[in-house]
Amino acid sequence: MFTHIWKKEIQGELYTWKSMLWLVIASLLFSFTSYLLLTNAELSLLDQTELMWLLGKIVIGVALLIVTIDASSILNTEFEKETAESLFLAPISISDFILGKLFASLALWAAIFIVSIPYILVTSTGSHLALAFLGYVALLGTLGVLGLIFLIFGISLLYRSSKNTITTALIILLAFATPALFASNLKNDIVSQAFSAANPIDNIFSSLDNVLVDYKTSLLENWQFLLPLVLFCLITFAFLFWSARRFEKKGVIKND
Amino acid sequence: MPDIISVENLSKSYGSTKAVDGLNLHIRKGEFFGFLGPNGAGKTTTIRMLTGILKPDHGKIAIDGRPSEDKQQIAKVIGVIPESRGFYEWMTAVEYLGFFADLYGIAGKEKDDRIASLLSEVDLTKRKDSQIGTYSRGMRQRLGLARALINNPQVLFLDEPTLGLDPQGQEDIQLLLKKLNVKGVTIFLSSHLLNEVSNLCSRIGIINNGKLVAEGTVDELREKTKLNKDKTLTDIFLNLTRNNP
Repeated sequence: MFTHIWKKEIQGELYTWKSMLWLVIASLLFSFTSYLLLTNAELSLLDQTELMWLLGKIVIGVALLIVTIDASSILNTEFEKETAESLFLAPISISDFILGKLFASLALWAAIFIVSIPYILVTSTGSHLALAFLGYVALLGTLGVLGLIFLIFGISLLYRSSKNTITTALIILLAFATPALFASNLKNDIVSQAFSAANPIDNIFSSLDNVLVDYKTSLLENWQFLLPLVLFCLITFAFLFWSARRFEKKGVIKND
Repeated sequence: MPDIISVENLSKSYGSTKAVDGLNLHIRKGEFFGFLGPNGAGKTTTIRMLTGILKPDHGKIAIDGRPSEDKQQIAKVIGVIPESRGFYEWMTAVEYLGFFADLYGIAGKEKDDRIASLLSEVDLTKRKDSQIGTYSRGMRQRLGLARALINNPQVLFLDEPTLGLDPQGQEDIQLLLKKLNVKGVTIFLSSHLLNEVSNLCSRIGIINNGKLVAEGTVDELREKTKLNKDKTLTDIFLNLTRNNP
Protein backbone atom coordinates (compact mmCIF):
# COMPACT_ATOMS: atom_id res chain seq x y z
CA MET A 1 0.00 0.00 0.00
CA PHE A 2 2.85 2.40 0.82
CA THR A 3 4.02 2.23 -2.80
CA HIS A 4 0.97 4.27 -3.88
CA ILE A 5 1.85 6.97 -1.36
CA TRP A 6 5.48 6.81 -2.45
CA LYS A 7 4.46 7.18 -6.10
CA LYS A 8 2.26 10.16 -5.24
CA GLU A 9 5.14 11.77 -3.34
CA ILE A 10 7.61 11.20 -6.16
CA GLN A 11 5.12 12.77 -8.58
CA GLY A 12 4.14 15.64 -6.30
CA GLU A 13 7.36 16.31 -4.42
CA LEU A 14 10.35 15.13 -6.44
CA TYR A 15 9.18 16.12 -9.91
CA THR A 16 8.59 19.69 -8.86
CA TRP A 17 10.47 22.93 -9.38
CA LYS A 18 11.39 22.89 -5.66
CA SER A 19 13.14 19.53 -5.86
CA MET A 20 14.72 20.33 -9.19
CA LEU A 21 16.04 23.55 -7.67
CA TRP A 22 17.59 21.57 -4.81
CA LEU A 23 19.34 19.32 -7.32
CA VAL A 24 20.59 22.31 -9.32
CA ILE A 25 21.90 23.92 -6.11
CA ALA A 26 23.60 20.64 -5.16
CA SER A 27 25.22 20.25 -8.57
CA LEU A 28 26.38 23.89 -8.56
CA LEU A 29 27.96 23.38 -5.15
CA PHE A 30 29.64 20.17 -6.29
CA SER A 31 30.86 21.86 -9.50
CA PHE A 32 32.24 24.82 -7.60
CA THR A 33 33.98 22.60 -5.03
CA SER A 34 35.46 20.26 -7.64
CA TYR A 35 36.60 23.18 -9.76
CA LEU A 36 38.29 24.83 -6.78
CA LEU A 37 39.88 21.60 -5.60
CA LEU A 38 41.30 20.83 -9.04
CA THR A 39 42.34 24.30 -10.23
CA ASN A 40 43.10 26.46 -7.19
CA ALA A 41 46.87 26.79 -6.88
CA GLU A 42 46.96 26.11 -3.13
CA LEU A 43 44.18 23.51 -2.94
CA SER A 44 45.65 21.56 -5.84
CA LEU A 45 48.77 21.05 -3.73
CA LEU A 46 46.73 18.83 -1.43
CA ASP A 47 47.05 15.10 -1.73
CA GLN A 48 44.39 13.58 -4.05
CA THR A 49 42.88 11.56 -1.19
CA GLU A 50 42.46 14.76 0.81
CA LEU A 51 40.64 16.34 -2.14
CA MET A 52 38.35 13.30 -2.26
CA TRP A 53 37.82 13.51 1.50
CA LEU A 54 36.81 17.17 1.24
CA LEU A 55 34.42 16.46 -1.64
CA GLY A 56 32.92 13.47 0.22
CA LYS A 57 32.26 15.68 3.25
CA ILE A 58 30.59 18.30 1.06
CA VAL A 59 28.42 15.75 -0.81
CA ILE A 60 27.15 14.19 2.41
CA GLY A 61 26.85 17.54 4.21
CA VAL A 62 24.81 19.08 1.39
CA ALA A 63 22.62 15.96 1.18
CA LEU A 64 21.95 16.00 4.94
CA LEU A 65 20.97 19.67 4.79
CA ILE A 66 18.65 19.29 1.77
CA VAL A 67 17.03 16.11 3.09
CA THR A 68 16.51 17.81 6.50
CA ILE A 69 14.66 20.71 4.88
CA ASP A 70 12.62 18.45 2.58
CA ALA A 71 11.76 15.79 5.18
CA SER A 72 10.63 18.47 7.65
CA SER A 73 7.69 19.31 5.43
CA ILE A 74 6.90 16.04 3.66
CA LEU A 75 4.66 14.67 6.46
CA ASN A 76 3.46 18.00 7.80
CA THR A 77 2.19 19.20 4.45
CA GLU A 78 -0.62 16.60 4.73
CA PHE A 79 -1.76 18.16 8.03
CA GLU A 80 -1.23 21.76 6.97
CA LYS A 81 -3.02 21.40 3.63
CA GLU A 82 -5.79 19.36 5.31
CA THR A 83 -5.31 16.29 3.11
CA ALA A 84 -4.43 13.97 6.01
CA GLU A 85 -8.04 13.33 7.01
CA SER A 86 -9.07 12.12 3.53
CA LEU A 87 -5.90 10.06 3.27
CA PHE A 88 -6.41 8.30 6.60
CA LEU A 89 -10.06 7.63 5.78
CA ALA A 90 -8.77 5.21 3.13
CA PRO A 91 -7.67 1.77 4.36
CA ILE A 92 -4.05 2.74 5.03
CA SER A 93 -2.05 2.36 8.21
CA ILE A 94 0.39 4.76 9.81
CA SER A 95 3.22 2.45 8.65
CA ASP A 96 2.07 2.79 5.02
CA PHE A 97 2.01 6.54 5.45
CA ILE A 98 5.49 6.70 7.00
CA LEU A 99 7.06 4.20 4.60
CA GLY A 100 5.66 6.02 1.54
CA LYS A 101 7.09 9.31 2.75
CA LEU A 102 10.36 7.69 3.88
CA PHE A 103 11.06 6.23 0.44
CA ALA A 104 10.26 9.60 -1.15
CA SER A 105 12.82 11.33 1.08
CA LEU A 106 15.35 8.58 0.37
CA ALA A 107 14.69 9.10 -3.35
CA LEU A 108 15.82 12.72 -2.93
CA TRP A 109 19.05 11.50 -1.29
CA ALA A 110 19.48 8.99 -4.14
CA ALA A 111 19.03 11.80 -6.68
CA ILE A 112 21.65 13.96 -4.91
CA PHE A 113 24.02 10.99 -4.78
CA ILE A 114 23.54 10.31 -8.50
CA VAL A 115 24.24 13.99 -9.26
CA SER A 116 27.47 13.73 -7.22
CA ILE A 117 28.80 10.62 -9.01
CA PRO A 118 30.51 12.46 -11.92
CA TYR A 119 32.22 14.84 -9.47
CA ILE A 120 33.36 11.95 -7.28
CA LEU A 121 34.71 10.13 -10.34
CA VAL A 122 36.51 13.22 -11.71
CA THR A 123 38.11 14.00 -8.35
CA SER A 124 39.23 10.41 -7.85
CA THR A 125 40.50 9.77 -11.40
CA GLY A 126 43.57 7.55 -11.26
CA SER A 127 43.15 6.73 -7.57
CA HIS A 128 42.82 3.08 -6.56
CA LEU A 129 40.33 4.30 -3.90
CA ALA A 130 37.76 5.63 -6.40
CA LEU A 131 35.32 2.75 -6.00
CA ALA A 132 35.77 2.52 -2.23
CA PHE A 133 35.19 6.29 -2.03
CA LEU A 134 31.98 6.02 -4.06
CA GLY A 135 30.77 3.04 -2.01
CA TYR A 136 31.49 4.71 1.33
CA VAL A 137 29.80 7.98 0.30
CA ALA A 138 26.74 5.87 -0.61
CA LEU A 139 26.83 3.81 2.60
CA LEU A 140 27.66 6.60 5.06
CA GLY A 141 25.28 9.03 3.36
CA THR A 142 22.43 6.48 3.41
CA LEU A 143 22.96 5.71 7.12
CA GLY A 144 23.18 9.41 8.02
CA VAL A 145 20.16 10.37 5.91
CA LEU A 146 18.11 7.41 7.19
CA GLY A 147 18.76 8.23 10.86
CA LEU A 148 18.00 11.88 10.23
CA ILE A 149 14.73 11.09 8.41
CA PHE A 150 13.60 8.82 11.28
CA LEU A 151 14.35 11.66 13.71
CA ILE A 152 12.61 14.32 11.60
CA PHE A 153 9.53 12.14 10.96
CA GLY A 154 9.30 11.46 14.70
CA ILE A 155 9.40 15.20 15.39
CA SER A 156 6.88 15.86 12.57
CA LEU A 157 4.33 13.47 14.07
CA LEU A 158 4.69 15.23 17.43
CA TYR A 159 4.46 18.82 16.14
CA ARG A 160 2.44 18.42 12.90
CA SER A 161 3.92 21.76 11.85
CA SER A 162 6.61 22.26 9.19
CA LYS A 163 7.89 25.45 10.79
CA ASN A 164 8.44 23.87 14.23
CA THR A 165 9.87 20.68 12.74
CA ILE A 166 12.35 22.44 10.46
CA THR A 167 13.56 24.72 13.28
CA THR A 168 14.09 21.77 15.64
CA ALA A 169 15.68 19.62 12.92
CA LEU A 170 18.10 22.36 11.84
CA ILE A 171 19.14 22.98 15.46
CA ILE A 172 19.84 19.25 15.88
CA LEU A 173 21.73 19.11 12.57
CA LEU A 174 23.81 22.13 13.58
CA ALA A 175 24.50 20.60 17.00
CA PHE A 176 25.86 17.51 15.24
CA ALA A 177 27.62 19.27 12.37
CA THR A 178 29.42 22.12 14.14
CA PRO A 179 31.59 20.02 16.50
CA ALA A 180 32.31 17.64 13.62
CA LEU A 181 34.01 20.52 11.79
CA PHE A 182 36.36 21.30 14.70
CA ALA A 183 39.95 20.14 14.37
CA SER A 184 40.70 16.97 16.36
CA ASN A 185 43.17 18.79 18.65
CA LEU A 186 40.20 20.79 19.96
CA LYS A 187 38.55 17.60 21.14
CA ASN A 188 41.01 16.43 23.76
CA ASP A 189 38.78 16.38 26.84
CA ILE A 190 36.60 13.39 27.72
CA VAL A 191 33.27 15.14 27.06
CA SER A 192 34.31 16.22 23.55
CA GLN A 193 35.68 12.78 22.78
CA ALA A 194 32.53 11.06 24.03
CA PHE A 195 30.31 13.40 22.02
CA SER A 196 32.54 12.92 19.00
CA ALA A 197 32.30 9.12 19.32
CA ALA A 198 28.50 9.29 19.44
CA ASN A 199 28.01 12.10 16.91
CA PRO A 200 26.81 10.60 13.59
CA ILE A 201 28.32 13.37 11.47
CA ASP A 202 31.67 13.04 13.23
CA ASN A 203 31.57 9.31 12.54
CA ILE A 204 30.72 9.85 8.86
CA PHE A 205 33.69 12.20 8.44
CA SER A 206 36.03 9.98 10.49
CA SER A 207 35.08 6.92 8.45
CA LEU A 208 35.78 8.81 5.20
CA ASP A 209 39.10 9.86 6.70
CA ASN A 210 39.83 6.26 7.66
CA VAL A 211 39.09 5.05 4.12
CA LEU A 212 40.80 7.79 2.15
CA VAL A 213 43.68 8.90 4.32
CA ASP A 214 44.52 5.67 6.17
CA TYR A 215 43.48 3.39 3.25
CA LYS A 216 41.32 1.22 5.55
CA THR A 217 38.62 0.27 3.09
CA SER A 218 36.99 -2.85 4.53
CA LEU A 219 33.81 -2.64 6.60
CA LEU A 220 35.57 -4.42 9.47
CA GLU A 221 38.21 -1.71 9.59
CA ASN A 222 35.46 0.89 9.88
CA TRP A 223 33.25 -0.83 12.45
CA GLN A 224 34.03 1.75 15.17
CA PHE A 225 32.45 4.44 12.96
CA LEU A 226 29.70 2.37 11.39
CA LEU A 227 28.44 0.98 14.70
CA PRO A 228 27.55 4.41 16.18
CA LEU A 229 25.85 5.27 12.88
CA VAL A 230 23.77 2.09 13.00
CA LEU A 231 22.99 2.83 16.66
CA PHE A 232 21.95 6.36 15.70
CA CYS A 233 19.53 4.86 13.15
CA LEU A 234 18.16 2.39 15.70
CA ILE A 235 17.65 5.06 18.37
CA THR A 236 15.96 7.47 15.96
CA PHE A 237 13.84 4.58 14.62
CA ALA A 238 12.75 3.79 18.20
CA PHE A 239 11.84 7.49 18.63
CA LEU A 240 9.83 7.42 15.37
CA PHE A 241 8.09 4.23 16.50
CA TRP A 242 7.12 5.83 19.81
CA SER A 243 5.97 8.99 18.06
CA ALA A 244 3.87 6.95 15.56
CA ARG A 245 2.20 5.03 18.41
CA ARG A 246 1.40 8.31 20.13
CA PHE A 247 0.01 9.67 16.85
CA GLU A 248 -2.23 6.60 16.51
CA LYS A 249 -3.47 7.05 20.06
CA LYS A 250 -4.23 10.75 19.59
CA GLY A 251 -5.85 10.35 16.17
CA VAL A 252 -5.21 12.08 12.87
CA ILE A 253 -6.79 15.35 13.99
CA LYS A 254 -4.82 17.17 16.65
CA ASN A 255 -7.28 19.34 18.50
CA ASP A 256 -6.72 18.61 22.14
CA MET B 1 -33.64 -3.84 9.21
CA PRO B 2 -30.43 -4.45 11.16
CA ASP B 3 -28.36 -1.56 12.54
CA ILE B 4 -25.52 -0.55 10.24
CA ILE B 5 -24.24 2.07 12.68
CA SER B 6 -24.39 1.32 16.36
CA VAL B 7 -23.02 3.71 18.98
CA GLU B 8 -23.09 3.01 22.71
CA ASN B 9 -22.23 5.57 25.37
CA LEU B 10 -19.69 7.42 23.19
CA SER B 11 -17.67 10.16 24.88
CA LYS B 12 -14.81 12.44 23.92
CA SER B 13 -13.28 15.33 25.84
CA TYR B 14 -10.81 18.02 24.81
CA GLY B 15 -9.14 18.98 28.06
CA SER B 16 -11.97 19.84 30.43
CA THR B 17 -14.52 20.34 27.62
CA LYS B 18 -16.82 17.42 26.90
CA ALA B 19 -17.26 17.44 23.12
CA VAL B 20 -19.39 14.29 23.07
CA ASP B 21 -21.02 13.00 26.22
CA GLY B 22 -22.54 9.53 26.44
CA LEU B 23 -23.95 9.43 22.91
CA ASN B 24 -26.14 6.49 21.87
CA LEU B 25 -27.20 6.06 18.24
CA HIS B 26 -28.66 3.25 16.18
CA ILE B 27 -28.98 3.74 12.46
CA ARG B 28 -30.60 1.12 10.28
CA LYS B 29 -29.39 -0.09 6.91
CA GLY B 30 -30.62 2.14 4.07
CA GLU B 31 -31.63 4.99 6.35
CA PHE B 32 -31.01 8.67 5.50
CA PHE B 33 -30.11 10.06 8.90
CA GLY B 34 -29.77 13.77 9.56
CA PHE B 35 -27.47 14.88 12.35
CA LEU B 36 -28.14 18.40 13.56
CA GLY B 37 -26.70 20.61 16.21
CA PRO B 38 -25.50 24.15 16.82
CA ASN B 39 -21.85 25.08 16.21
CA GLY B 40 -19.58 23.26 18.64
CA ALA B 41 -22.29 20.78 19.62
CA GLY B 42 -20.08 17.77 18.80
CA LYS B 43 -21.25 16.82 15.28
CA THR B 44 -17.83 16.80 13.61
CA THR B 45 -16.21 15.09 16.60
CA THR B 46 -18.90 12.38 16.42
CA ILE B 47 -18.35 11.87 12.67
CA ARG B 48 -14.59 11.73 13.19
CA MET B 49 -14.99 9.06 15.85
CA LEU B 50 -17.45 7.08 13.72
CA THR B 51 -15.05 7.15 10.77
CA GLY B 52 -12.00 6.18 12.85
CA ILE B 53 -10.15 9.50 12.50
CA LEU B 54 -10.47 10.29 16.20
CA LYS B 55 -10.23 7.83 19.09
CA PRO B 56 -13.13 8.01 21.56
CA ASP B 57 -12.37 8.28 25.29
CA HIS B 58 -15.21 5.88 26.11
CA GLY B 59 -17.90 3.93 24.38
CA LYS B 60 -18.41 1.43 21.62
CA ILE B 61 -18.86 1.95 17.90
CA ALA B 62 -19.80 -0.72 15.37
CA ILE B 63 -20.16 -0.12 11.64
CA ASP B 64 -21.77 -2.93 9.67
CA GLY B 65 -21.17 -5.19 12.66
CA ARG B 66 -17.44 -4.42 12.82
CA PRO B 67 -15.99 -2.82 15.95
CA SER B 68 -14.21 0.52 15.53
CA GLU B 69 -10.84 -1.16 16.24
CA ASP B 70 -11.19 -2.86 12.85
CA LYS B 71 -10.40 0.45 11.13
CA GLN B 72 -9.03 -1.01 7.88
CA GLN B 73 -12.15 -3.13 7.28
CA ILE B 74 -14.50 -0.29 8.23
CA ALA B 75 -12.66 2.04 5.84
CA LYS B 76 -13.57 -0.32 2.99
CA VAL B 77 -17.34 -0.04 3.60
CA ILE B 78 -17.62 3.66 4.33
CA GLY B 79 -17.27 6.80 2.27
CA VAL B 80 -16.72 10.20 3.88
CA ILE B 81 -16.83 13.86 3.01
CA PRO B 82 -14.89 15.18 6.00
CA GLU B 83 -14.92 18.65 7.45
CA SER B 84 -11.37 19.35 6.24
CA ARG B 85 -11.52 19.65 2.49
CA GLY B 86 -7.88 19.55 1.41
CA PHE B 87 -7.00 18.28 -2.05
CA TYR B 88 -3.73 17.56 -3.83
CA GLU B 89 -3.96 20.71 -5.92
CA TRP B 90 -1.34 19.58 -8.46
CA MET B 91 -3.29 16.45 -9.41
CA THR B 92 -6.00 16.24 -12.04
CA ALA B 93 -9.39 14.79 -11.06
CA VAL B 94 -8.51 11.53 -12.82
CA GLU B 95 -5.16 11.27 -11.01
CA TYR B 96 -6.80 12.14 -7.68
CA LEU B 97 -9.52 9.51 -7.96
CA GLY B 98 -6.95 7.07 -9.37
CA PHE B 99 -4.75 7.57 -6.31
CA PHE B 100 -7.65 6.82 -3.96
CA ALA B 101 -8.77 3.87 -6.10
CA ASP B 102 -5.23 2.48 -5.70
CA LEU B 103 -5.46 2.89 -1.91
CA TYR B 104 -8.70 0.85 -1.95
CA GLY B 105 -7.07 -1.81 -4.11
CA ILE B 106 -9.26 -1.05 -7.14
CA ALA B 107 -7.25 -1.65 -10.30
CA GLY B 108 -7.32 -2.14 -14.07
CA LYS B 109 -10.52 -1.75 -16.07
CA GLU B 110 -12.67 -1.63 -12.94
CA LYS B 111 -10.70 1.41 -11.77
CA ASP B 112 -10.98 3.22 -15.13
CA ASP B 113 -14.70 2.46 -15.43
CA ARG B 114 -15.47 3.57 -11.90
CA ILE B 115 -13.53 6.83 -12.27
CA ALA B 116 -15.27 7.58 -15.58
CA SER B 117 -18.72 6.84 -14.17
CA LEU B 118 -18.14 8.88 -10.97
CA LEU B 119 -16.79 11.85 -12.92
CA SER B 120 -19.86 11.72 -15.13
CA GLU B 121 -22.17 11.44 -12.08
CA VAL B 122 -20.64 14.51 -10.43
CA ASP B 123 -20.48 16.32 -13.78
CA LEU B 124 -16.72 16.75 -13.92
CA THR B 125 -15.97 14.80 -17.09
CA LYS B 126 -15.20 17.95 -19.08
CA ARG B 127 -12.63 19.11 -16.51
CA LYS B 128 -11.23 15.68 -15.64
CA ASP B 129 -7.76 16.53 -16.93
CA SER B 130 -7.51 19.97 -15.31
CA GLN B 131 -5.50 20.44 -12.13
CA ILE B 132 -7.65 20.54 -8.98
CA GLY B 133 -5.98 23.86 -8.09
CA THR B 134 -8.01 25.45 -10.89
CA TYR B 135 -11.38 24.11 -9.64
CA SER B 136 -14.14 26.21 -8.10
CA ARG B 137 -15.47 25.41 -4.62
CA GLY B 138 -18.48 23.61 -6.08
CA MET B 139 -16.30 21.46 -8.33
CA ARG B 140 -14.12 20.54 -5.35
CA GLN B 141 -17.20 19.55 -3.34
CA ARG B 142 -18.36 17.33 -6.19
CA LEU B 143 -14.89 15.83 -6.56
CA GLY B 144 -14.88 15.18 -2.80
CA LEU B 145 -18.16 13.32 -3.19
CA ALA B 146 -16.72 11.29 -6.07
CA ARG B 147 -13.75 10.38 -3.87
CA ALA B 148 -16.09 9.34 -1.06
CA LEU B 149 -17.88 7.03 -3.51
CA ILE B 150 -14.79 5.48 -5.13
CA ASN B 151 -15.09 2.27 -3.06
CA ASN B 152 -18.87 1.85 -3.57
CA PRO B 153 -19.51 2.43 0.15
CA GLN B 154 -22.44 0.99 2.07
CA VAL B 155 -22.44 3.95 4.45
CA LEU B 156 -21.78 7.56 3.53
CA PHE B 157 -20.81 10.10 6.19
CA LEU B 158 -21.22 13.68 5.04
CA ASP B 159 -20.06 16.65 7.09
CA GLU B 160 -21.72 19.76 5.60
CA PRO B 161 -21.48 18.49 1.99
CA THR B 162 -23.20 21.53 0.48
CA LEU B 163 -21.41 24.16 2.57
CA GLY B 164 -20.66 27.26 0.50
CA LEU B 165 -22.41 26.01 -2.63
CA ASP B 166 -24.87 28.05 -4.67
CA PRO B 167 -28.51 26.79 -4.81
CA GLN B 168 -27.85 24.96 -8.10
CA GLY B 169 -24.80 23.22 -6.63
CA GLN B 170 -26.77 22.32 -3.49
CA GLU B 171 -29.58 20.82 -5.53
CA ASP B 172 -27.18 18.80 -7.71
CA ILE B 173 -25.60 17.22 -4.64
CA GLN B 174 -28.96 16.63 -2.97
CA LEU B 175 -30.28 14.84 -6.06
CA LEU B 176 -27.19 12.68 -6.17
CA LEU B 177 -27.57 11.80 -2.49
CA LYS B 178 -31.23 10.88 -3.00
CA LYS B 179 -30.25 8.58 -5.88
CA LEU B 180 -27.59 6.91 -3.75
CA ASN B 181 -30.02 6.39 -0.90
CA VAL B 182 -32.57 4.83 -3.26
CA LYS B 183 -29.81 2.44 -4.35
CA GLY B 184 -29.50 1.33 -0.71
CA VAL B 185 -26.61 3.44 0.58
CA THR B 186 -27.06 4.45 4.22
CA ILE B 187 -26.41 8.18 4.61
CA PHE B 188 -25.35 10.00 7.76
CA LEU B 189 -25.69 13.70 6.98
CA SER B 190 -24.52 16.50 9.20
CA SER B 191 -25.72 19.88 7.97
CA HIS B 192 -26.68 23.34 9.08
CA LEU B 193 -29.19 23.64 6.27
CA LEU B 194 -32.37 22.55 8.03
CA ASN B 195 -34.39 22.61 4.80
CA GLU B 196 -31.90 20.23 3.25
CA VAL B 197 -32.14 17.85 6.20
CA SER B 198 -35.91 18.11 6.32
CA ASN B 199 -36.21 17.30 2.58
CA LEU B 200 -33.72 14.46 2.51
CA CYS B 201 -33.68 12.66 5.83
CA SER B 202 -36.03 9.96 7.04
CA ARG B 203 -34.88 10.38 10.64
CA ILE B 204 -33.09 13.15 12.49
CA GLY B 205 -30.91 13.29 15.59
CA ILE B 206 -30.25 16.58 17.37
CA ILE B 207 -27.11 16.98 19.44
CA ASN B 208 -26.45 19.82 21.84
CA ASN B 209 -23.43 20.23 24.12
CA GLY B 210 -22.30 16.72 23.19
CA LYS B 211 -25.59 15.06 24.17
CA LEU B 212 -28.29 13.68 21.90
CA VAL B 213 -31.31 15.70 22.94
CA ALA B 214 -33.86 14.22 20.52
CA GLU B 215 -34.16 11.64 17.79
CA GLY B 216 -36.92 10.67 15.37
CA THR B 217 -38.85 11.75 12.27
CA VAL B 218 -39.81 15.40 11.88
CA ASP B 219 -43.33 14.54 13.11
CA GLU B 220 -42.00 12.68 16.13
CA LEU B 221 -39.75 15.61 17.01
CA ARG B 222 -42.67 18.01 16.62
CA GLU B 223 -44.71 15.84 18.95
CA LYS B 224 -41.88 15.74 21.45
CA THR B 225 -41.60 19.53 21.49
CA LYS B 226 -45.39 19.91 21.56
CA LEU B 227 -45.24 22.39 18.69
CA ASN B 228 -48.07 23.00 16.24
CA LYS B 229 -48.20 21.18 12.91
CA ASP B 230 -47.36 24.34 10.98
CA LYS B 231 -43.99 24.67 12.75
CA THR B 232 -40.92 23.84 10.69
CA LEU B 233 -37.80 21.89 11.53
CA THR B 234 -36.09 25.21 12.30
CA ASP B 235 -38.64 25.89 15.07
CA ILE B 236 -38.23 22.36 16.41
CA PHE B 237 -34.44 22.67 16.32
CA LEU B 238 -34.41 26.01 18.13
CA ASN B 239 -36.89 24.75 20.70
CA LEU B 240 -34.82 21.66 21.43
CA THR B 241 -31.40 23.34 21.53
CA ARG B 242 -32.55 26.38 23.54
CA ASN B 243 -34.40 24.25 26.06
CA ASN B 244 -31.44 21.91 26.52
CA PRO B 245 -28.54 24.26 27.23
